[in-house]
Parts: sequence; C-alpha cells; structure tokens
Amino acid sequence: MVENTDLRKVLKGYSNKWIALSADSSKVVGVADNPKGALEQAHSNKEANPILTKTPEHYGTFIL
Amino acid sequence: MSIRLKFDYRKFPADRSEAFPRRQSATRPVIPVTLINGDRKVTNLAIIDSGADLCIFHAEIGEQIGIDIESGKVQTFSGITREQLTAYFHNIKIGIGGHEYDCYAGFSRDLANMPYGLLGQVGFFDLFNIVFDYNKERIKLISKDNE
Repeated sequence: MVENTDLRKVLKGYSNKWIALSADSSKVVGVADNPKGALEQAHSNKEANPILTKTPEHYGTFIL
Repeated sequence: MSIRLKFDYRKFPADRSEAFPRRQSATRPVIPVTLINGDRKVTNLAIIDSGADLCIFHAEIGEQIGIDIESGKVQTFSGITREQLTAYFHNIKIGIGGHEYDCYAGFSRDLANMPYGLLGQVGFFDLFNIVFDYNKERIKLISKDNE
C-alpha cells in the first residue's frame, strides 16, 4: 500500500474536528466532534483500519 | 536483531503569516501509532517530539480503547506557556510499523488544540535510536532491543 503523506489537500477546510483518514491517508472517511463519531463514519464507509487525527482551529505554527 | 523502520515526514496545511508570507505547508515528523489496550486498538497520528519528556495522547483517544482516564496516575506538565496541564498515566501497548511495544502513556484533556499525540523521551525515545532527515523528509527508527 502506498501511503499518502501529503495531507495539505486532504485536511484543508477542516477546523477543530476529529478526522478519520483512510488507511493509506488518501481521503477523509469520517468527520466528527469526537473520535467515536469519526470512527463510526469510517466503519460505515467500510474503512477497516482508519487513522485518526485532529484538525486545529487554525493551521498555525507549533513550537513544542 | 534490531528492527529498522522508515517513515516519511507528513505535510500539513499551514496559514501564511507576516513573518512567513509564502508559507503553504508545514512538514512535521508525524507517524501513525496504534494505541492498544487489550483487544481494543485505535490508530492515530503522533508527532515525534524530542522536547517532550513523556508520551501523551488525547484523553478521547484513550476512552476509545476503553481506558478510564482519571483512574490513572496523575502527572502535571507544561509546554512553553505557564499553563499547568494534567495527564493520567496508564500501561498500554503501542504499535509502530507492525511491531508492538509496552508504553507507560499519559492521556490528557488539555491537548485541546494539539492535532497529534506526543511521542516523547520516556516510552518512545527510550525504545528507538531516531534519525531525522528534514531535507529528505525521512525518519528512521532503529529499535534498541539488542543494545
């Protein structure tokens, strides 16, 4: 499986949401305010191995 | 024999600013990590953060694998601000590149605007020697199993 690591287009437009990505990270398969909802949508979309992430409110800069 | 894993950096959207008016993306050492509690597991993105002392994930992710977050051992922590944050630590397993490792991981409700879990020194850097190659956008993990 070729994994998509460029998430600029895939995640663009989502703000402060939990996102379930397809196993190859090529598309969004679930969006919700919590991981449970995002995963339920992913499974409804027949994605067996979704990858969760959260989108920030603003796509700013992180200094950890 | 050591396990060698390779990951590509991931690119994320990034807003332009006065300081960086041409900025279009941020390239970060973010990898998929599976959090495992018994027979429950969920995969989420986590950033390899050499500045983090510990591994900390969103509490909502912990709940998704059946962890009673507040029953864990308490640890306060802080980032670059003065704010004191709280995490609750539990023994779980983490899956990376198809291999599983024990991890004493924290779960916090205070990672509100942080998109990723944090892979820090204890629980991650103590498992792997890590090579960051920003220009090649490549991360290499070499397990310390046989050292």
